[in-house]
Parts: sequence; C-alpha cells; structure tokens
Amino acid sequence: MSEAAIELEGITKIYTMGQVEVPALRGVDFRIERGEYVAVMGPSGSGKSTLMNLIGCLDRPTAGRYRLDGEDVSSLDDDALAAIRLKKLGFVFQGFNLLARTTALRNVALPLFYAGVPQRARDAAARKQLAEVGLADRVEHRPAELSGGQQQRVAIARALVNDPAVLLADEPTGNLDSQTSEEIMAVFEHLNRGGRTIIMVTHDETLARHARRRIRLRDGLVTSDEPNPDRLVAEGEASGGTTQLHGTF
Amino acid sequence: MIGAFVGEALGVLLGNRLRSALTIVGLVIGVAAVIAIQTLGKGTSGAVAGILGGLSDAAFTVFPNNFQAAASRAALRPQDIERVKRLVPNIAEAVPTGGIARQVRVGHESARMLIYGETSIRFSNTPLRYGRAIGEDEIAALAHVAVIADRAYARLFPDGRNPVGESIRVGERRYVIVGVLDKPRTGVIPLPLNLDIGIPYTTYVKEYIRGKTVFGARFIVSDTSKMQETEAATVRALVALKRGKVAYQTFDRRTFSSAIDGIFNGLTFVVAMIGAVALVVAGIGILNIMLVSVAERTREIGVRKAIGATRGQILLQFFIEALVLSAIGCGLGLAIGIAVGWTINDLVLVRLSGFVAPIPWLQSVAIAVGFATLVTLLFGTYPAYRAARLDPIEALRYE
Repeated sequence: MSEAAIELEGITKIYTMGQVEVPALRGVDFRIERGEYVAVMGPSGSGKSTLMNLIGCLDRPTAGRYRLDGEDVSSLDDDALAAIRLKKLGFVFQGFNLLARTTALRNVALPLFYAGVPQRARDAAARKQLAEVGLADRVEHRPAELSGGQQQRVAIARALVNDPAVLLADEPTGNLDSQTSEEIMAVFEHLNRGGRTIIMVTHDETLARHARRRIRLRDGLVTSDEPNPDRLVAEGEASGGTTQLHGTF
Repeated sequence: MIGAFVGEALGVLLGNRLRSALTIVGLVIGVAAVIAIQTLGKGTSGAVAGILGGLSDAAFTVFPNNFQAAASRAALRPQDIERVKRLVPNIAEAVPTGGIARQVRVGHESARMLIYGETSIRFSNTPLRYGRAIGEDEIAALAHVAVIADRAYARLFPDGRNPVGESIRVGERRYVIVGVLDKPRTGVIPLPLNLDIGIPYTTYVKEYIRGKTVFGARFIVSDTSKMQETEAATVRALVALKRGKVAYQTFDRRTFSSAIDGIFNGLTFVVAMIGAVALVVAGIGILNIMLVSVAERTREIGVRKAIGATRGQILLQFFIEALVLSAIGCGLGLAIGIAVGWTINDLVLVRLSGFVAPIPWLQSVAIAVGFATLVTLLFGTYPAYRAARLDPIEALRYE
C-alpha cells in the first residue's frame, strides 16, 4: 500500500473561550487507506464535528500531524487550505447547501469554476457527473424543483466533480426520509465500489451500518475503531437506469 | 478568469432580480438626472447658438443708454458714426442700425416694408439664395440697388422666381435687386436679424435719415479677437466726441450668449449638486443592500469556501457583483438620461430654435463610467471584504 488517504497523528484541538480552554480533540490517531468507506460516529460533544472540520481542511489542529493524500496539511495557511479543499476534498452536507437560485448544472460546476476551468469544459464535466448520480434529465432544474433525495444527489455530484481524494459526508441523510436515505446510501455504495474513499460522519447507527469500518469518538478520543462485518448493503437504482446497483456481499 | 466571474455575477444577480433591481434604482435615477441635465444643457447652449447663429461674430452694436440726463446730446447721428469709424482702429465698417418703414411695390404686389442700410460685409451670416451681396463700389456710388430678405421676397414674389435684375419701387425711387437672402436659421423665435430690404448704407443715410438721429450704430471689426478692446475704444471715442457725461451700451453675440450660458451654467450646477447628493444616497443604498446580501448569503459563502474558493476569489466575486450592478445601473441611467434629455430637447428647444444639438455622448458616457467606478469602489469594497473574511465553519453553521 502506498500513501494512505488520511493519516492522523496525535491530533489535538483546543478552543479558547475567553479564559477557559475547551479541548475538543485530545490526541486522535488513525489512518484511512484509499478506497475505504468509514463511518465516524459519536454523540454530540464527542468532537466529531471538530474532527470533520479538520479532515475537511476547514480548520487547523492545535497540535498533531495530518497528512491528506500524502501531503502534510496541518499548518497550511487559509489560501493553501482552500486549494487543498478544491483539489482533494468533496463535501456533502446534511442540509444539501446548494445555491438556491442556480441550476443543478451550475451548482455541480461550481468547484470547477473556482479551479479556473473554462465554461465549456465545466458544463461537460458537470453533465457527466450528474448522469453518474442518475440526474441526467434534471440538469436545468433549480434545487426547489427537485426532491430532497435529488438535491442531495446534486450535492454529491458537486462534491465529486473535481475528482477528490476523499468524499466527506456530514449526516448526509439527516434531512431525508428512510427510503430516500437508502437511495443515497446506494449511491455511496456504488461510488465506493468504484474506488472512491468515503468518510461519513453520523450519529445514526443504522446509517453507519452501511460503512465498511466504524470509528467511534467520545470526549475527544477514539474509543473504538473496527471493521463492520455484518454491514448493510443498500440496493437501488442510482443512475437513471444505465447502471444498476446490486448488493452482492 | 475575470470574464468567468462576470458571468457568475450575472447569474447570481439574475437569480435575484427583484433585489438587484431595487439595489440599482437610486443609481439609475441619479445618473439619469445628471445626464439628462447634461444633454439639456448642450441643447440649450446649442439653441442659443442657433438663435444667434444669424448674427455675425465680427459685429457689435452701440446705442445710447435710454435713461440718461443728456439723452438728446448722446443721440447718434450718421456723421458721428463716420467719425468714429475713422478714429477707432480695427473698425472695418460702421452703419446706422434700425430700419425705416416704406411702401414697396413690384408690379401688382405692394407691401409696407422695413428698409435698412447694408454694407459690403454683411451683418448677418444668412446665406444668399440668389445673386450677390452689395458691393463696395455701389456703397461708394450711393447706388440704388437692394438685397431682399426671405419674407419680403415671399411677399413680393409669390411665384418664387429669381428676381435678380428686376427692380422694386419705394416711393419715387427704384432699386435694382442684386440678391435675395435665404431663411435665417433661427427657428421660430422671430429675431429681426434681417429686415426686409437692404440697400447701401450710404444711400440709406442720404435718402431716409437726412441728418436725423439714429437708434444706434453697428460696427464690423477686422480682427474679432480684439472685439472687446474695440468696443471700449468706440465708446471712449463717442464720449469724447459728445464732450459730456453721456453713456453708451455695447452689445455683441458673445455678451448675449454668455448671459444665457451663465444662467444655464448656474442651473446645471444646482442640478448636478442635487444629482451628486442623490448618487451618494444611492451609493449608501447599494452599500446597505450589499451588506444585507452578504449576511443573507453567509451560508452560500460558507459553501463556496468549503468547495475551495479562496478569500481572494470571494472578494473578487462580490466586488464584481457590485461592479456589474453599478455598471447596469449606470448604463440604464445613461440610456434613460439621454432619452429624457433628447426628448425634451426635441420637443422644446429644437422647436424653439430650429437647432439640433448633438447628443454629448462622450461626456455622458464618461459621467456614467465615472459614477459606476466611484460607487463600486466606495460602496462595493467593504461588503466584498466582509464576505471574504467570513470563517467557513461559522458560515456553514449560519441559519
């Protein structure tokens, strides 16, 4: 195995609130290889959001070393972190976070816009990515014209359009009903089988059972880190009939 | 790259049409007002120039002040005018002003008309329709020749034929027509630039003045750049000639048009000030709405940053949004301002003066571009900076 997708060594994060120092992470170490599908779990206050922000390069650790896709990103400045997010990370949020008055196509093309890709190439890549998540016929729709599940699929397409090393999902089905959640999980399953590294942060046990590995946090420390032998495999149609997803495990 | 940002900004602004429209309303009105008054100003000075266009800029008139104790002593006689002409340098020609009404006949046509003294250098620059102007030799010889103005021509020759060579009768005298003037370019304001029948001023003095006083005198200078000195010298010469406390006024095209220009410049300044205040208010409106927009779009900014937008890109994006907004606002203002100014010009001034002023495109565009730049720099920078400075984690959590 060459370099890991993610390597955390002694990651500490301390927030200073006035005079009081509040430790959110107190020395977290783990390694996620390429192609893994990991659920990061924990109750609120466990530090999982902080960890998510650090892995997502939205924040820097107070101490420790973080290597993303072989590159040490622990102490980069804001602009360098932005460049890392642009190249190596894809975000999927609980609230979808699509630009409301913008078509699915333009939403998906947005990262490429910041990467300086010309319009024509942006649109082509965005179309391809939307087809990948089964929304080829929805490219000109605005978020309000799409169902929750479709919106989240647009968000997934946006996260993937720059071909990131890691797909980071933060409670990706928190706003969706159970059937739609299952659809999204089927998309993740499909992506992971295609070799995509996925890290999903959730407090939902059922959801976490889809991952191949589960990391549990409590009070800023990893309490358990184990493979998930009896995982759920979401089955569903994820790409408009062209690619059928089947649970084969 | 900038082009892509403009495209992105247009997308955002078109996605929020109402907000975008409300943001630029003030700017549109402010710019439109300033440009309309600018266009109108051009129209007005054009109209004044048009009205006075018939007046030669080499000519000036001198007349005694009406309300003075020595009014009768100050009154001008033809010989005074002759003497001043010889005394004052730079005067090429001098004649009595005004005309005298006489019955004029041509064949069966007959009308009462104003006869005036003309020189070889014409006072008005109305072009000739037929024939030629009166010549030096005819003035020297006190010849009985005439140049007739357009209205007199229409009255005396209703069939519109070329009358050069024919003669008109004024009392006992016959005058041979040597030229006919065209319509003066003064629009509907009936300025009596050309009286009806122009004859050599020498003939005019001999036949109709006969030693009486005249209303005033008209002078033509050789060098128009020394107009003011010549006017002053003429007045001094007249005062010396009359040996007393007499007062004279001079009048030329420049004094008249500068008086009107002065009034309008004052008006323009006041309106420009009001426009400037309107634009400052509009700018603060833009600042306010841009700040609201940044606050409202905090989450969006968070998403853009999470996706990988740098501070610089966010700053540029909001800055370009402000720029695009003010460019659209100023562009609309420019169009409306020119349309309004031009319409008023067309409906009022052109009808009044018959003079179509060119639209001051260059100045108007300069004003619009200037305001767009100023408003963007003054009021677009701070909101853009606020947007760029947002912390992505906080911004994503913002509800």
